[in-house]
Amino acid sequence: MTLSVRNIGKSFGGFRALDDVSLEMPADGLLGIIGPNGAGKSTLFSVMSGFMAADAGGVSLHGRPLDRLGAAARARAGMVRTFQVPREFHHLTVRENLMAAAPGQTGENLLGVFLSPRRVRTEEAAIRVEAEATMDFLRLAPVADTPAGRLSGGQKKLLELGRALMAKPRLILLDEPFAGVNPVLIGQIMDRVATLNARGIGFLVIEHDLEALSRLVPRLVVMDRGRVLATGAPDVVLADPAVREAYLGGAVA
Amino acid sequence: MFGQLLVAGIVHGLIIGLAALAVTLVFGIARFPNAAAGDTMTAGAYAGLVAHKASGSLLVAGGAAVAASGLISLLGYLLVFRPLARRPVASLLVAAIGVAFLIRAALGIVFGHQQQVFQVPLAWPIEVAGIRIPPMDLTLAGVAACALAGAFGVLYLTSIGRQMRAVADDPDLARVSGIRPMRVMVTLWLLAGAAAGIAGLMLGVKTVVAPEMGWEGLLSAFAAAILGGIGSPVGAVAAGLLLGIAQEISTPYVGFTYKIALSFAVMLAVLLFRPRGLFGRVEGVR
Repeated sequence: MTLSVRNIGKSFGGFRALDDVSLEMPADGLLGIIGPNGAGKSTLFSVMSGFMAADAGGVSLHGRPLDRLGAAARARAGMVRTFQVPREFHHLTVRENLMAAAPGQTGENLLGVFLSPRRVRTEEAAIRVEAEATMDFLRLAPVADTPAGRLSGGQKKLLELGRALMAKPRLILLDEPFAGVNPVLIGQIMDRVATLNARGIGFLVIEHDLEALSRLVPRLVVMDRGRVLATGAPDVVLADPAVREAYLGGAVA
Repeated sequence: MFGQLLVAGIVHGLIIGLAALAVTLVFGIARFPNAAAGDTMTAGAYAGLVAHKASGSLLVAGGAAVAASGLISLLGYLLVFRPLARRPVASLLVAAIGVAFLIRAALGIVFGHQQQVFQVPLAWPIEVAGIRIPPMDLTLAGVAACALAGAFGVLYLTSIGRQMRAVADDPDLARVSGIRPMRVMVTLWLLAGAAAGIAGLMLGVKTVVAPEMGWEGLLSAFAAAILGGIGSPVGAVAAGLLLGIAQEISTPYVGFTYKIALSFAVMLAVLLFRPRGLFGRVEGVR
């Protein structure tokens, strides 16, 4: 059961954003990705999640190639991403944001709506309970009926995680979950990610906060200028002279 | 007198409101002003007319109007708007005007250009609290209420409705949340078409059926959609009612010719004080 990214290449004009990127992780594992700005981390997420087409290479989850699937189908296949700048359905309430991501509803289909109204109502009640549980888990319950556009940045990060959870993922791609989040919430998000991982959900995490990330993940991938520079345990990788040169600019002793 | 005008205004307002609902849904989700909404209404009126002649039942006529307009609306999406989806709004608007002309021409060829009327039985008005209400107005108001209940039920009580509103807010985020864009678009066009069809049927019963009827009603529908806060379904219906009532009540004072102009004056006046429209909400900050 692995996530496998093989030889991904992606160029914008003459700029090689991703150059032969490969990585592999157990689908229920925890893997961090670090690298300076412009290293191609977010582009990698965009390609993996079906947001952008790769020029070369492919992604597979549990041996199933995802390359021909669109973004929506990849999410339903179990791989869900979040965004560096948190995004939300801003007119929908927090509860509706969560419920909107629940897959496989009879009510997703007009025929279902009119032909089996009772089933639609039962399923609505079920995902409402699920959304309730997710809000409790992420401490979003007090803002359940607030339009999501009014949440704080940190709350939006939690909501992104919640929306990802409602999609019944096997693997979540977290793009800078701690950026711009106050330290109390960082602790809370880390705690939640660890709990979810213990339940079998895998995480691939892009993060600049090395201290927090090193506590969260057992393995790091270092990217620089579109390439994978090093892979390994945080202390080993961060001690690597090439990594220090590229990422830390050699400035940290 | 005032009471009668108010009743007429409500019925007229429900027609505008349903048409504005079709416009505002498409604007919110597909993101362009659908100039073909008016002629989709006309198609519904003709389908209803044919069904009514054959069956004598308004209920059957309503079903036919919903089916025909829903289908035409969906075809417009699949054949024209979907292939053009990533083009600028101006291209889509021009394409929509083209679709509108096409529908109108087809209706003209099939049904001719002479005005036709629904053969509905004349009935004495019912008197309620001193206001004389034609029974047909009550029937039409009932039809509109059912149509609106159906549309809002889908939008606010079902998964597909929530997904439609989600796509309206952020289409990319909807995709990564596993929401199928195609299914949302198909539902949108069916729903918008059905709302326009009911509006066309009601307009046809109240006035006459002619190929130009919908095109002429389109401006009011756009005005109501903007007045209500573009993209807001509740706003569209509320603004439709407001404009319909304003048009009817002003008729004795400004005359039949200028009642449309007056409704635009109302729209401009409201927008001066509330640029977002009645129900428009502040956009979330990115």
